[in-house]
Amino acid sequence: MKRLALLASVAVVYLLAAWMVAPGFYDGFAPQQPYNWVCPPVHISGNLPPSSGHLVIKVINGISDATAAFTDDGQVVIYFNFGVFDATGKSVITVDLRPVSPCPKPSGLTLATNTYLITADAPLVKRSNLKMLYSDIVPAPSTVYLSTSADGPWSSIGANSQAEPFTINTATDRLGYFAAGYPANAVSHGGPSSQVLPIVIAGLIILVLVAGIPVAMIRRRNRNGEAE
Amino acid sequence: MLWVLAGRPAIRVAVIAAYVVLVEWSRALVITAPFAATAALIVGGIALMLSGAGWPLERLGIGRSHLALRILGGCALAVVLLLPAAARASASPILPAFLAVPAVVVSIGEEIAFRGALYAALEDLGGAPVAIIGSTALWTAAHALSHPPEFLVAVAGAGLLLALWRWACKDLVGPIIGHVIADLAI
Repeated sequence: MKRLALLASVAVVYLLAAWMVAPGFYDGFAPQQPYNWVCPPVHISGNLPPSSGHLVIKVINGISDATAAFTDDGQVVIYFNFGVFDATGKSVITVDLRPVSPCPKPSGLTLATNTYLITADAPLVKRSNLKMLYSDIVPAPSTVYLSTSADGPWSSIGANSQAEPFTINTATDRLGYFAAGYPANAVSHGGPSSQVLPIVIAGLIILVLVAGIPVAMIRRRNRNGEAE
Repeated sequence: MLWVLAGRPAIRVAVIAAYVVLVEWSRALVITAPFAATAALIVGGIALMLSGAGWPLERLGIGRSHLALRILGGCALAVVLLLPAAARASASPILPAFLAVPAVVVSIGEEIAFRGALYAALEDLGGAPVAIIGSTALWTAAHALSHPPEFLVAVAGAGLLLALWRWACKDLVGPIIGHVIADLAI
């Protein structure tokens, strides 16, 4: 009984500790840093605005330097190798990354990330790798979309099959508007997938109660039988 | 190696502790590399399981007796571990499908390492209180690179709860089931 009380006390301590950290404690592989939305989903609270990024790339002997441009919150990173830009007549190349507001709503697509406008004052001549973070509370995007205008049209530029958790990687030979998402008919929209968790919890509680009572009764009967 | 160190419990604790913490930190660092997540998690989980090699199963808390109760206990532990996230269900994460198998491997590996081998070695060294406090402290330290500092109190709370279960019920099956369900759900 004493052990049970101790277990219950520590369970309460854990619940309090886990409740005090936002957005709640997860021991899985979910990033603990919430995604910063331009247009947060309706069930998100405490959203922070996403950051922009700016980079000046040196041009050395007519070749643009190898470097990476990223937003200050790290939600988008684009990696430039040596000579990926046409640097004719330039001593530096400026790259800007900016979250787009208002949020584009392309028909037939569901965007799982913010849309970012990535611009440079020189054209790309080789492919560059783009990495976009996505939120852990929305279904994972299947591809990255690129457009020359916030109004579209949007074309899929693919995605590497497996990047870091909660990131999607691709390669691009053009700059413009980027967002990760999936075709609107690719997933069901019966409600947020995160509603699964309360159902799991409810199922476990029912299981413990329904199965626990007969198991406890059997144990008690066995103990009484041994005592007699 | 464990048999060689059986007569030197302090050295055995130091070796196991250094090994599991090193594996956890390495995993946390490698997982951030592109394309390395699944492999790092599975290799890390298996490496953690290896810390239980050489221990009799009952010393690790693994057994078939009262199996139904152990499984139910695991479900009850999962409820407690998941309750804070479920209460905020509108913002609970979704585990990508490709991480499901690694999540299971890592959860089992962590339980065998911390509440299994490390707990048993610490218990041999200084009894149950040392095993509970020591395994919780090392569990928290091992998560220092994978969780932000403000989450470590909750990490410690979870570690203490699982270690207390291990002590109170002499069982590791429950913590394994609870940990697996919790990591799969979020």
